[in-house]
Amino acid sequence: MEFLFKPFGIAVAFVIVALIWTFPLQHVISYPFVFLFFGAVMGTAWFGGTIAGFIAVALSSLLVTFLFIPPLYSFSVAKGSESFLTAFILCAIAISFLSAARKRSENAIREARDQLEEKVHERTAELEQSNRDIQESERQLRLLTEAIPQQIWRADASGKIEYCNQHLVDYLGIPAREACDDNFFRILHPEDESIFRHGWQAALVTGANFEIEARIRNRAGIFRWFLVRSIPQRTEDGKIARWYGIHIDIEEQHKAQQSLARAHEEQVRIAHTLSMAEMAASIAHELNQPLTAVMTHAYACREWLHANPVNVDRASATADKIVQESTRAGEVIKRVRALFRNEPQVRQKADLGVLIRDTARLLRDEAIRRVISTHLFIAEDLPRIEIDPVQVQQVLINLAMNAMEAMASGQPPLELSIRAEKKSEREVFVSVEDRGPGIPSETAARIFDPFFTTKAEGIGMGLAICRSIVEAHDGRIWAQSLPGGGTAVQFTLRNRQ
Amino acid sequence: MTTTLQNSGQTVFIVDDDDSICEALSNLLESVGIAAQSYPSAESFADSWERGSAGCLLLDARLPGMSGVEFQEQMHASGIDLPIIFMTAHGDMPMVRNVMKAGAVEFLIKPFQKEELLHAVDQAFALDKTRRADEEVLQSIRTRIDSLTDREREVMRLVTTGLLNKQVAAELNLSEITVKLHRRRVMEKMEADSLADLVKMCERFRSLDH
Repeated sequence: MEFLFKPFGIAVAFVIVALIWTFPLQHVISYPFVFLFFGAVMGTAWFGGTIAGFIAVALSSLLVTFLFIPPLYSFSVAKGSESFLTAFILCAIAISFLSAARKRSENAIREARDQLEEKVHERTAELEQSNRDIQESERQLRLLTEAIPQQIWRADASGKIEYCNQHLVDYLGIPAREACDDNFFRILHPEDESIFRHGWQAALVTGANFEIEARIRNRAGIFRWFLVRSIPQRTEDGKIARWYGIHIDIEEQHKAQQSLARAHEEQVRIAHTLSMAEMAASIAHELNQPLTAVMTHAYACREWLHANPVNVDRASATADKIVQESTRAGEVIKRVRALFRNEPQVRQKADLGVLIRDTARLLRDEAIRRVISTHLFIAEDLPRIEIDPVQVQQVLINLAMNAMEAMASGQPPLELSIRAEKKSEREVFVSVEDRGPGIPSETAARIFDPFFTTKAEGIGMGLAICRSIVEAHDGRIWAQSLPGGGTAVQFTLRNRQ
Repeated sequence: MTTTLQNSGQTVFIVDDDDSICEALSNLLESVGIAAQSYPSAESFADSWERGSAGCLLLDARLPGMSGVEFQEQMHASGIDLPIIFMTAHGDMPMVRNVMKAGAVEFLIKPFQKEELLHAVDQAFALDKTRRADEEVLQSIRTRIDSLTDREREVMRLVTTGLLNKQVAAELNLSEITVKLHRRRVMEKMEADSLADLVKMCERFRSLDH
């Protein structure tokens, strides 16, 4: 019942106020003046709600019936006044409803407004928080980019550098503002600049990830190798918003790689030279023995002839020995020749074009390392002829290596060309050409002789071996200078029939 | 030059595994009147070696079995004391340096000139002669010393260090007369003309006898 106290109180208060004002006013206005009670009902319903309104209606009706409707001071209602009373009660009820409803809608509006305000507060707080979060994460990101011991930058969609981290700035030794912009290419090694610029501009157009190894100059003017890698960040509609780049220092790896390559090359060279040197030493020893004997006998022979009296018998016997030992020396040379020529040969019909392509593939790494481009011109109608593929490949490798070495100190473009043409149904022609300094004609005639060499560390057997292989294939080998500079070593191979 | 080498009783011992080299070298040496003997290996030479053979070794540095360089290191142990001339077809510097340091007379690279060979043989023979003469002197002194009694040897030792007879007598607890007697016997047996001669003899013996 407690919930009735407040509405009841409000109703009583309003009704009493209406009653107090009605008493004096009824003397001014003759007709039963009860309109102030409508005010009381309206006020009660406004402040106390519907229930309070009804209580006020009830109280007002009782008081009006008792005090102002004849017979006065009685709850009975005189004839003729019922309609008045009924109209009063209906009006009061209606007013009470209207007032309460109005009050409710007012409350609802206020409530909605309050809620809205509250929401706005909440949202504001959330926004502030997320703003702080973003700032924090940005700060952390920046801290991270500075903490990574690599050089990091950011560029706009056009490739203009907008931001460089401290490492990059420190490395370059120039203010961040200067490091930005197109000047970026100036920090590169001149040899790397053009390839870098092309690659970067291509990446900017295609939007592909960019990666390149290049030398970058530090504050002291010294170049170090870096792996430069850049990836685009795209907006939701796929357009490139900006580029992020990182420079990873690969100087040490590069050095290690280079020394590895050098060591490897040295090893191959030493192995090659060693086997050749060993062979040469053994040939030299083989020849040296009879030569020493010949020389010693010759001295002895002279002594026997100068003796007094002349010892003709010993001199003659010694001369025989000289012939014998010279013959032995000749046999050594024959054996050495046989070593090169009469190796058991595995003759088979082979496609020389395939053999040349295989050889070029074998030498690919070497050519790349020496920045030499290799061109093969192999005629379509090359006849298949019977050759020893291993030996012929040995010739090709030897000639190609010589050609590359001839260009070792040359100016670009460095080109190695191998041509193969058909001479007849049973003969092919091969030419191995370089862009080196060429070959003097007097040298050209001798380079296929054993032990002839123009190289400091060569022993002059390579081309001699080539010649013996080519001749074993009933072919010929020769060298000539090319009109545009460079040397062509050419040979033919013939089908034995 | 070559005439001085003739009939000296010295022989060049050639050690080379190549018959034709041995033959050519002996032919040349004989043509200038030098005796020569050939051996195909260091081992075969060591086996047929006779003590007192005079001359020198003409040794190939690279031999089958024991190499010339190894043989040089072992020669003293085998009691062979001949000057060595090395020869080889391929002389590498460290090897040349080592054998020269070890006392080789010469290192000849095949093929070599007649003069190179004969000059080396000349040097080697001269060295051999000196050594042999030293050896002879040593041998005769050793024989004389061996003929001394223990007491006489004691007296000689003390006298040659410069002590007077009186001091020697005191040292050996003998009378001065006895020392004088021993001393005369020593001088006689050692065939020394004077004390200075005896001292010289003893010093030479000490310096050669190692």
